[in-house]
Amino acid sequence: MEAEIRNRPAFANLIVNLQAGEKIVAEADAMASMSSSIEMSTRWNGSVFSALARRYLGSESMFVNEFTTSSTGHVVLTQPFPGDMACIELQGNTMFLQPGAFIACEPSVNLGLGWAGWRSYFGGEGLFRLKVSGKGRVWFGAYGAIFTRDIQDEYIVDTGHLVAYEPSINIRLGLAGGIFSSFFGGEGLVTRVKGPGKIYMQSRSFDGLAAWTNSHLY
Amino acid sequence: MSQADETFTGGIFHQSIQDGRAGANIRVVRGEVIAEPLYGNSANGEQAAFAIPLRDVQLDMGGASGKMIFCRSADKSLTIFCEEKGFAKALERESAGQLSDQLKSLKGSLRKENRRFMFWLSVSCVALLLFCVVGYYGLMAAARTAVHALPTSVDEQIGKAAIQSMIVNRLPSDHKASELVKQIVNRLKPHSKFPEMGFEIYVVESDEVNAFALPGGQMVVYTGLIKNADSPEQLAGVIAHEMSHATLRHGLQAISQSIGVVAAIQLMVGDVGGLLAIGTQVAQQSVMTSYSRNAETEADLEGARMLHAAKIDPKAMATFFAKLKHEHGDIPGVVSWLSTHPQHEDRIESINKYTDSLTPIAYEPLDVDFKAIQDSLN
Repeated sequence: MEAEIRNRPAFANLIVNLQAGEKIVAEADAMASMSSSIEMSTRWNGSVFSALARRYLGSESMFVNEFTTSSTGHVVLTQPFPGDMACIELQGNTMFLQPGAFIACEPSVNLGLGWAGWRSYFGGEGLFRLKVSGKGRVWFGAYGAIFTRDIQDEYIVDTGHLVAYEPSINIRLGLAGGIFSSFFGGEGLVTRVKGPGKIYMQSRSFDGLAAWTNSHLY
Repeated sequence: MSQADETFTGGIFHQSIQDGRAGANIRVVRGEVIAEPLYGNSANGEQAAFAIPLRDVQLDMGGASGKMIFCRSADKSLTIFCEEKGFAKALERESAGQLSDQLKSLKGSLRKENRRFMFWLSVSCVALLLFCVVGYYGLMAAARTAVHALPTSVDEQIGKAAIQSMIVNRLPSDHKASELVKQIVNRLKPHSKFPEMGFEIYVVESDEVNAFALPGGQMVVYTGLIKNADSPEQLAGVIAHEMSHATLRHGLQAISQSIGVVAAIQLMVGDVGGLLAIGTQVAQQSVMTSYSRNAETEADLEGARMLHAAKIDPKAMATFFAKLKHEHGDIPGVVSWLSTHPQHEDRIESINKYTDSLTPIAYEPLDVDFKAIQDSLN
């Protein structure tokens, strides 16, 4: 299956070329356009309960769509917010994604929901996270540009900017500076990530946009 | 030995693997920790195995769960990690004690980490609680003070909107009792804090011995109260008390406190549009329930001041209190004016203390045929 992320970085979209029998799994409403030869079928995102859990706790769709064709065709997949997309090729390893980041994956990839813990919640990363594992490609998106970093020791990421990370990454909360600077410097809490492992970050945060918009409303 | 065949699932980091990482099956056996990538080494498609002798292993702990164990080779080129439960035990067992020290310090650091987290969690909970308590009392005080920044037109709007449903059985304005109360208000008005406030007073037919004021100077006196007064000065005492509630903005304070935080912020910003609707309803309710004890004492003293300034004997107020308490103290409900105003003795005492401190002047009694007015009421 050929797939390419185009129109990067602000309004990226994924075009997937399918041959006969090939299948791609995408979250609901990700499809922007597709060939008429493509068939779409919808199924629960796992069992009924896990689908509900994924919807309400992981901000993922309750249903997923499977696109396949008996001849050839292509599907264009998108995300609701402006930003870049990235592809991860899993080889039996696992990746944690922020709620709402997942877009599509190959059928051989397993989708699961995991408890992210209170540290993650206060770090602006949500109480739950999506766990992708198995073998195959996963496509996810973020708000803003996506940049990655291989962490060996410690690194600091502001709350709301962490998109995906490996299970080998340790997450801790900290204050940006002392109490005074954290409060008035506007940074507040930050996430201290400790390696080894790789993290994916986004260059914009939704909370930042919300706060900015609010301040301009009157 | 079935234990040696135990396979764990974890991962490995090594440069030779495509993308540098892969999921792997891990076994701890024959003095080594061995990892086999789940899907082979994609670089050449062969099933490669990576091993670290246990005597050379550097252990570390971390991961998103905090419980992931990392096994690093001596040159740090290979890392095998696993967070499954039995992994640490397997390492302990197969290393024949060589890794015991490292494992113990890992466990210790994990415990320390957890304790640190719990400490900061409890500190932040306490801080949050303290902030809420201090914030609540601070905002309540601010809500009381912020009211004074508003123009009295706000009070009048609220009062006028609320009064209509409360004066259904009112006496006509040319009735003797209506004219008397209006006369008293006109005499007291110039000496009040806001002489330009739109005071309006209605007499409503009811056996209840009660009177109340809404924000902005809308007032109601029940005929029951007029009938129970010994003199017009006592009636004037009640009216002065109620006018003080209006001029001291107690109604608005009660509203702003009951609406709470939202109101305080809105009042300070000056946007009162949304408050009017709630204020009307709350004004009607709060008038029937009691004002705070402070508000009552404030109204007593301000009322006494007004009476004295208008040359009406302020002692009449305290006398009326004592009379009602003495005569009807045991019949709750009838004397609702008192029952909504608690701690009678204290208040009688504080009024008397205040009136005693005033320089005596010649008081001018109200020149009316009070008995005739009382008789004209049903």
